[in-house]
Amino acid sequence: MKKNDIILIICILVVAGLVIAMTRFTNQTKNGDEAVAVVTIDGIEYARYPLDKDVTETIEISDNNYNVISIHDGQCEISDASCPDQICVYHNPIENNGQTIVCLPNRLVVTIENGSDNDIDGATY
Amino acid sequence: MGNVMKRFRIISVVLVAVLIAFIFVVLHMNKNIGEDISSDMAYDKYTINFLDVFDTSTDITGFAASQNDFNKEANLIKEQLTYYNNLYDIYNDYDGLNNIKTINDNAGIQAVEVGPEIIDLLEFGKDMYDLTDGNVNIAMGSVLRIWHEYREYGIANPSNASLPELAELEAAKEHTDINKVIIDKEAMTVYLEDADMSLDVGSIAKGYAVQQVLEYCRNEGMNNILFSVGGNIAGLGGRVDGTNFKIAIQNPNLESADPYIERVEIEDGQCVVSSGDYQRYYEVDGKRYCHIINPDTLYPPETFAGVSILTDDSAKADALSTALFNMTLEEGQKFIESLDNVEAMWVYHDGTVAYSKHFKDYVID
Repeated sequence: MKKNDIILIICILVVAGLVIAMTRFTNQTKNGDEAVAVVTIDGIEYARYPLDKDVTETIEISDNNYNVISIHDGQCEISDASCPDQICVYHNPIENNGQTIVCLPNRLVVTIENGSDNDIDGATY
Repeated sequence: MGNVMKRFRIISVVLVAVLIAFIFVVLHMNKNIGEDISSDMAYDKYTINFLDVFDTSTDITGFAASQNDFNKEANLIKEQLTYYNNLYDIYNDYDGLNNIKTINDNAGIQAVEVGPEIIDLLEFGKDMYDLTDGNVNIAMGSVLRIWHEYREYGIANPSNASLPELAELEAAKEHTDINKVIIDKEAMTVYLEDADMSLDVGSIAKGYAVQQVLEYCRNEGMNNILFSVGGNIAGLGGRVDGTNFKIAIQNPNLESADPYIERVEIEDGQCVVSSGDYQRYYEVDGKRYCHIINPDTLYPPETFAGVSILTDDSAKADALSTALFNMTLEEGQKFIESLDNVEAMWVYHDGTVAYSKHFKDYVID
């Protein structure tokens, strides 16, 4: 084996490594593999919050109404809200695929996408 | 020189081995990706949520080859649900449509011409009144309206929240005779004989509409759809892979670490409906008063935090969950055992749970 062979092999390895890294990366963005909390207001998407980044943000709704969304420990919850019934605030934190928190008065819905699957298709409430 | 050559040879052998290993890994990964894509392309699971019907949140879950295909089905379902929502509305008028509110507005005045969807709903309501010994009464609008006003005010002004006087409720109860709901199937009219009475179909309308829309979808050739209208859940078929839909039942204690009190599997056409004091309520002096009103005491029942029904008709499930919420456990258990294909689960405020005979057959461990 010549020195050039070794260089060739190293080159192939580097290229293979890059290809793998790239396919992984593009797959992630294409399929959106990371878990996100998708917020809609009146059915229109307002924002997406990745569950792996801790954040607390106030979502302003018309007429001085608001919901405070809080992402921590890979979970999403509404920690405060202007709605009179406070059902969204009492709701348990969500993290599994398809789980939702609904604030009917503010017409706000938080849905988990690409979260871990808890093998549940629907829930009563 | 020989040493250097030897080292080169070892390095090259190692590198070739690593290269072969890499090729295997890459091939394997591609194979997995390929499998994922092919199974995804067959049928993906989609859910759509909307807040436009029955004053609650609706989720439609289905399986389709593309988002577009799913949206077509989901839009048809939404259209149907909206149609029933407008017909069974007691608060709003719709142009050119006689609905339940139209009937209420004409109480003591005249019979109102309505479509078969309203006639059938009201007849079903009368059947449920008889079946539940009056624990479900769609003619209780006069009483429920008083509670509705106090609740809305109490939610908006928590420090001034108050309870209606028993005398006021008892006066309203004089106008809750379901026999004064006159249905004329020939003329297709409904007339409320008592000018002070009104219909409130809140205990049956959602479930009835879900059952109608499920049957509509079945007739249209749709399959593998899960309906959840304000937690009235019904399954058309199962999952596309042939397994049953799995449903979680909300823990009435919303602050508990476990969001679900039980998980059940439902077969084609089965449904789960819960009634509880944890969604629609208001508080007076720190005490919770829910939206379900006992027709005898005229106050919210306090025995249970939640009751769930599992059966094969969503309309019946809706009515029965309300009825059980108004009964004691003993009454409820006896009642459920007298019915075919109906199972129930009762949850007390301390988290204690009681089951009907075969409820646990559906529970997933």
